[in-house]
Order: sequence, then C-alpha cells, then structure tokens
Amino acid sequence: MVTINLTEVPVRQANEQIRQYGAAGEDVELINPDARHHLGVGLTDPINVKIRGSAGYFCAGLSDSADFYVENNAGWGLGDNMYAGSVVVGGNAGAIAGVAIRGANIVVHGNMGSRAGQVMKAGTLCCAGNANFMAGYMMYGGRIIILGESGERVGEDMAGGEIFVGGKVTTLGSDATLTDLESAEIDDLMAFLERYKIAFKGSFQKVVNAGKKLRYTTSETQMRSLPFFGFSGKSDYWNPKVQEDVYIKSQIGRYRIRGYGGARALPHLSDLAFRRDLSKAGTDPDVLSKVEMATNIGALNGANPLKLSMPVMVAPMSYGALSRSTKQAIGMASTLSGIAENTGEGGMSDAQRGAAKQLIFQCLGGRLGWNIHDMKRADGLEIYISQGAKPGFGGQLMAKKVTKELAEIRGIPEGIDLRSPSRHPDILGADDLVIKVEELREATGYKLPVSVKLGAGRVRDDIKIAVKDGFDFVELDGMQGSTGAGGAEIMEYVGTPTLSAIIEAVNALQEIGRRDDIELILMGGLRDGIDAVKSLCLGADAVAFGTSTIIAGGCIACMQCHVGTCVTGIATQDPEHEKRYKPEVESKNIHRFLESVRWQIAAVTHALGYSDVKQLCRDDLVALTKEAAAITGLPYEPEHRQPSRFMRVRVA
Amino acid sequence: MCGIAGIMYKGNGTGAGTGQALIDMLDGCQHRGPDSTGFALYGQPKDGELRLRFFVGEGDEAQMAVQRIEQTLKNQSAHPIDAQRVGNTYRTTVEFDGDLQKFAYALEHAATVISIGTSLDIIKDVGTAHEVDDTYDVHQITGTHGLGHVRLATESDVKPEAAHPFWATGFADVAIVHNGQITNYWKMRRRLEQRDFEFHTENDSELIAVYLADKMAQGIALKDALKTSIDDLDGTFSFLVSTKDEIGYAKDRLAVKPMIMYETDDLVAIASEEVSLNRLFPGQALNTKEPPPGTYNTWSRSI
Repeated sequence: MVTINLTEVPVRQANEQIRQYGAAGEDVELINPDARHHLGVGLTDPINVKIRGSAGYFCAGLSDSADFYVENNAGWGLGDNMYAGSVVVGGNAGAIAGVAIRGANIVVHGNMGSRAGQVMKAGTLCCAGNANFMAGYMMYGGRIIILGESGERVGEDMAGGEIFVGGKVTTLGSDATLTDLESAEIDDLMAFLERYKIAFKGSFQKVVNAGKKLRYTTSETQMRSLPFFGFSGKSDYWNPKVQEDVYIKSQIGRYRIRGYGGARALPHLSDLAFRRDLSKAGTDPDVLSKVEMATNIGALNGANPLKLSMPVMVAPMSYGALSRSTKQAIGMASTLSGIAENTGEGGMSDAQRGAAKQLIFQCLGGRLGWNIHDMKRADGLEIYISQGAKPGFGGQLMAKKVTKELAEIRGIPEGIDLRSPSRHPDILGADDLVIKVEELREATGYKLPVSVKLGAGRVRDDIKIAVKDGFDFVELDGMQGSTGAGGAEIMEYVGTPTLSAIIEAVNALQEIGRRDDIELILMGGLRDGIDAVKSLCLGADAVAFGTSTIIAGGCIACMQCHVGTCVTGIATQDPEHEKRYKPEVESKNIHRFLESVRWQIAAVTHALGYSDVKQLCRDDLVALTKEAAAITGLPYEPEHRQPSRFMRVRVA
Repeated sequence: MCGIAGIMYKGNGTGAGTGQALIDMLDGCQHRGPDSTGFALYGQPKDGELRLRFFVGEGDEAQMAVQRIEQTLKNQSAHPIDAQRVGNTYRTTVEFDGDLQKFAYALEHAATVISIGTSLDIIKDVGTAHEVDDTYDVHQITGTHGLGHVRLATESDVKPEAAHPFWATGFADVAIVHNGQITNYWKMRRRLEQRDFEFHTENDSELIAVYLADKMAQGIALKDALKTSIDDLDGTFSFLVSTKDEIGYAKDRLAVKPMIMYETDDLVAIASEEVSLNRLFPGQALNTKEPPPGTYNTWSRSI
C-alpha cells in the first residue's frame, strides 16, 4: 500500500501516480483529501484505493475495475459513469451519486443527495440511509436500493431498471409505479447487503417504470413524399407542405417529428457576397499548392491538437440516427481528406473508430455510449450542450432504431422509444461545468482537446462561459443545422441563424478581450466551400459540414430520418435497408465532395489575393440584404447581387 | 454561476477571524467563480452611527464622486466621523438618525452605494479572494458572522458593481449571496417597485435581498421570510442571507444548486462545496449535511 498525502501532492499529479500504481497492481491510500475533487478519476486497473477523509466531486468517476473506499463523505457525482468496480462511502454522498454508472456497485452508508442514479444504465447503487428528491431520475437500467426513505418523486421518468425502497416511499415520480417483488429478488438484495455488511430487517417496495408516458402509440403516416423544394413551401399560402402538416396532425393528434433541417427562409451566408471580383477564381489549376490551408485545432491549453488538412471538420452526427455503415463511410472520407470526424451522441463503434483517423467523442446528457475506454481512444472530447436545429431540447430515437447492437453500445434496453435528456445531470451552470471539464481532462491525462457544442441561442452569454470554463474550442451550431429527429415547429422557429451566431460569438469574445483564448468552429447549414470561406472571413477558425456530407453520400432529403426505414440505408438500423448503403462507394463520394470544398476554399482565398486561409477577414465581404447588413455590420451593397443569385440557383 | 460561503461563530465570538475564514473558504471554491470576489462582514454597531461604502472609481472620477457624496451627506444632515478611500471604494462612518430608505435613495444619486448599515460592510471587487484581500485587508476583519461569494460573470460584465454580496437597497444591514437564477425576476421586481422600492442593478440577487428585507421591515421573522421566498421565487437557487444578528439559507425545490453545511457547538459554516468547509478544518473528516430541496433555516448570534 502506497500513501499519497494530498496536502503535498496536487490532485492532477496524484491521479497520475494512482494510475501508475494501478498499472503496477499496487494499492493506494490517500490522506488529507479534504473534499478535493476528481480523486481517482480515470483509473482502469483493479486496485484498492482508500480515501482517509472526505472526497469532493466525481470521486472514482470514469473508472473501471478499481475498488474505492471513502471513509467520510463524497461530493456530487460519486462514481460517475463507472463500469466495473466499487465505491463504498462511510458517510453521506452529495447529489447525483452513481450518475450514469454502467455496472459498478456503489454503497453509501449515510444519506444520498438529490437525483441519485440519474441516467444510470447498469450496476447497483445502494444507500443505507435516506435518498432525496428524484432518486432514479431518467435511469435506463440497473438497480437502486434505498434502505431509508425514498425522497420525493422517486423513479421520475425512469425508462428501465428497478428501485427497491426499504423505508417509506415518500412520493412516486412521473410514470413510476409500485410492483411486487419476487422472492428471488429479495434473496438477491439480502445477499448484496450481506456482502457489504449492512444490517437490514425490514421489507422492500419495488418501483419500476409504469410505461404510460414516453411512448408514441400512433406513428406518423406519411401522406405522400414531398421533395424538399415543395416542402420548403415558398409558393402559395396553403402549399403542399402546410396541407400535409394539417393532414398528418389530424391523424396522430400531436406535434410532428421529422428529420432534416428547417425549411423556412432565414438570413444566411448566402446573403453575403465577396467584395472583390472573383470571376477569375478557379482558373489556376495549381491553386491548391498556392494557399496554406492546414489548420490545427485544440492546442490552446496544451492538449494534442486535431491536425486538419483544411479548416473543415465533419459535424457531429450519431450512430443511431445514422447507420453503422454511414458512420463508417464518413469516417473513411474524413481520413481520405485529412479532417476530423465526430461520433455525435450514442457512442463510438469500432467500425467508426477504425475508419476515422481523427475522431472527436461526444458526451451528452444521457451519457449514452459514453465511457472511459472510448474516451481514451478518441482524439478529442466534446461536451454537447445543445444543437442548432433544436437548441435546448433533448433528442428522440424511435424504438425501430434502437436495435440490439445500438442498445448495447448505449447501455439501454433494446427497442424503447428513447429520449435523450435535454440537460446534463452534472452541468447545471457554468460553475458545475468547470468541474466537469476538469474531470474529462483528469481522466485523459490532459492530452485531449476538450470542446463544447453549442446550439445558437444566447450565443453572447454562452460563448463567454465557454471561454471562462477553459474549453479549447467551440462547435457553434446555427439554426439552419439539421437533426435526425426533432419537433417540426422547433426546427422552424427556435434558435438563432448561423449568420447571427458567428457574429455574436466573435463580438462577445472581443468584448471581454478573449478572442484568442478559444477557437470557433462554425456549423449549421453550411453547404459548400463558398459558405466555408465566408465563415472564415467572419471569424471562424474552421467550419463543419453535416447535412452536406450526408447528401454527398446519397441522402435524398426525404426528411423521414426519424422513421427508421431510410431507403438509402443512411438513417436506419434495419439490416435490410442498410444493405443498400455501400461504405466503400459512398466514402469516395463524400471524399470527392470534401475535395470540392477544399478546391473552392483555395480558389476563393487565392482570388481574394491571399496565400493562407488565416488571412481572410470581414473586409472581404459585403451584405446583399439590409437584414444581413444589420446582423453583420457589413456594408449593404446589393449591386454585388449578381454572382450570389447565380450561386443560390446552382446550390439550391 | 458562482460559489457561496457563510459563517457564524456562536457564543461570545466577537474576536473570531471571520474575514480570514471567508477568504479561506472562497479560495477553496474559487474555481466556481474566478471573475470577482466579495464579502459581507459585520462589526460592532454604535448608537446613531451608520457605515457606508460606495464605488467611486479612480482618479478625477473618484474625486468628483466623493465630493458629491459629501454634499449629499450634508444635505441629508449626516455628519461624517471618519472616511477613507480604499481600492475603488469610499468608506465612511456617519452620524445619522433620519429615514434610512430615503437617505439611501438620495445617496444613490451621488454614487453607487455598496452597502449601508449600523454594522454591515460589504467589500467586493474584481479578482480572487486573495487579490481582494490584498487591497482591502479583509483578513484583519473580525466579527461573529459574514458571507462571501466568488463570481463567474455570465450575463453581466466583469465589474466591481456586478460582484456579490448584494445589499438590500434601502434596508440597513441586510446582505445576500446567491448561486442560481430567479426566473420571475421582473414580475417580482415590478410588484416591489409599485410600492416605491428602488432597484439599482438588474441583478436577481438584489431582488432577493430587498424581498427579504421588506418582509422583515413588516415585522416578519427572517425564518418566515425565507419560507415564503421558496414559494414566491421561481428558478434555481441556493442563497445565504445575513442581518446584523442572523444568518440563514434557502434552497429551491429542484435541488439544482449545491449547498453543504457543517455545524458544531461553536459555529455553523455553509458553502457550495465541502472543499470550502474543509479549508477551515484541514485534515479532518467533517460530519456535514446537504440541506434537502425546498428547505431553509436561520441562526442567531447569542450575544
């Protein structure tokens, strides 16, 4: 047993030492912990760690296989996302004990704070004292044992798993119900208690999901397939889009869900034009060698950066919304083009990791698929706060798409109508976010860049928080971004247009003198290299393409991504449908599209008189509409309209 | 977007190092708010005397502000006993026995008032706990109780005026530190404004302070005012309030914002995180308690 004195050794160094002792199979004792945060975070070896006192936030978080003992209390997020292993706490645990665990045993001898076991997937969270408000909130699996009182609203919106309460069930949460126990279950509970030497003589009540909420009973039947042109509804007032909408609502009696992006006309990058005459652009066959485009992203705080061959990434899209083959193809294309791919929500598949040379791993509120092992094999980590298409809302994945493999990766029951929560259990303000970012850095030894994805809402405030909380870069996602499933009205009417988002972000950072302390990646309906160059001119360090890469890989824009029967094999988990998608073919199509982006960026940058994309600036742009001029502060010069109209026709 | 701390020494603790204790606690949770730090401290009151502190800025601007303050004090028949410029603030003790609310509103026209009280003195500025201490010698201040706050500015700018604690404008000796967000701010503010209360910031913490102070002015006990605050205020909050004789807390029903407390026969200490409490007792395992959602409590000086 090795002793580490935390009054002498800083936590970051102590965690490195613990991991080294772990690899050597040596047990560790921490003295003078004084409720410091992140103790034992990221440990993946089966050793014993004794903490002689109280631990702070995220004790034993993101660990696998180690056994922890905390003599006194533990702060928020005890055992966050733990796989195998255990934590025993002699005193009390703060809020969200056992958050998102995927198999560990967590035992608290005292009381637990609010929302214990939130979004947990497997394992056992046991509390010998009382639990508090909303224990088992949105849990997907595993069991919670509470020997004292349950606290108010126990089992609120739980999707799976079981909660056993030995004391009083104070009140049941929404969609939770009491059910009978089988004798085998009781034996199992008593064996668990005996194993951890907890005496208990009473009887148990069992709380499970009632299954009355969170289910779509009537599915949405499509009236007829409307092409996006018709769907965007620019023609008459009662156009086919409106008619379809009314008809379908008359059948299902609720709001509609669909895939793809908003179809309403909004100010966008196409409302800007270049000040200079670009008629010669693209005539130089050697233009790629004349413009420096290589861009490193994520090194500002000392992490290993993503090395992009051009200031472009693939936008986060989930394996779940998209098929495994699609994610594989996008990964392959990203490697061919020397850019970075992003897992989106729902975890990392081996196929995707193998295909993409540089891969960002996204962490969402439901912690679906989030785990320490995939974090370690990622090239960047990203905390998703929201997305441009539906800022502030959670996600939906219909039962049809929740297959066995997908459920396994995400750690959830197969075939449920899956809601991913709109909020993180442990990020309830900028103050908590600081501690979360630090946890991710601790767990991965400060090697990976940590970014935040922000749906454009209150950009001015949010971007300041992002820089103050120490993120390396921001993926800023405007309202024109797409999604695999979202409320139709939300997609059309909630959010901030991409054009406004970048302006607000740059202005806010300049206002507090911190523009150079964070990198900005702009996304949300960017279509081609021209949009990319305009974004760079407005102050983005790089851009990301989502919808464009899908279209390049065969998407026909039928907007039925959420249904799960995608005819192109992109937005489906049905093997019969997925068969149609050929990753080796589509990856080349996506790659060719990305190379066209590269060409456009080079050609326009060169024609503007520059040799490096970093030289692009806002003075290169003018506004074609009064609205865009008001948003951007660029001069209103509608005489530049001609080339833009040409471009709009061509692209649309 | 911040960290909060509060301490009260029970018994005859007039000589306790409250200033230093709060510096230590705030240093422990400075990660929650690196932009600004503030303290609400309570000295021994003297009959007929008021402590005043203002933001006056620097240089010529400060000189002019001080002149305006002096003139207003004269107009209001307040007689300065001592005065001092520290940092970008102006602190003075005056003899005054008129209507404090009118006095405070009049002074607001001369300069930004930080606090007024028979006992209260609020010290706040941009920077960390140690940086603020370097300018204002907070560690030398003793007393039975006080509050502290570290702030990460989100919706407002990083400036001393936006730092916490907030004084309940117009009510002597009431201060507040708050972590959270009051979502029915404008509705509550309009209700109070209809009764001629003035607000000098758009910060929701000032609203909580005035809300509580108004209740107390109507003869309602602090504890009962905290109880109604949980019903009347919407949003997510954990806040601490202090008067010249009491400290108290309230926590919203959703339990979104952290708060943890430690109580012995000698003291009660409350903070956002246990790490702050452990700063007072290094190397010890403390028997702490997390207040349940929707709860409140108060502690009084026993002297």
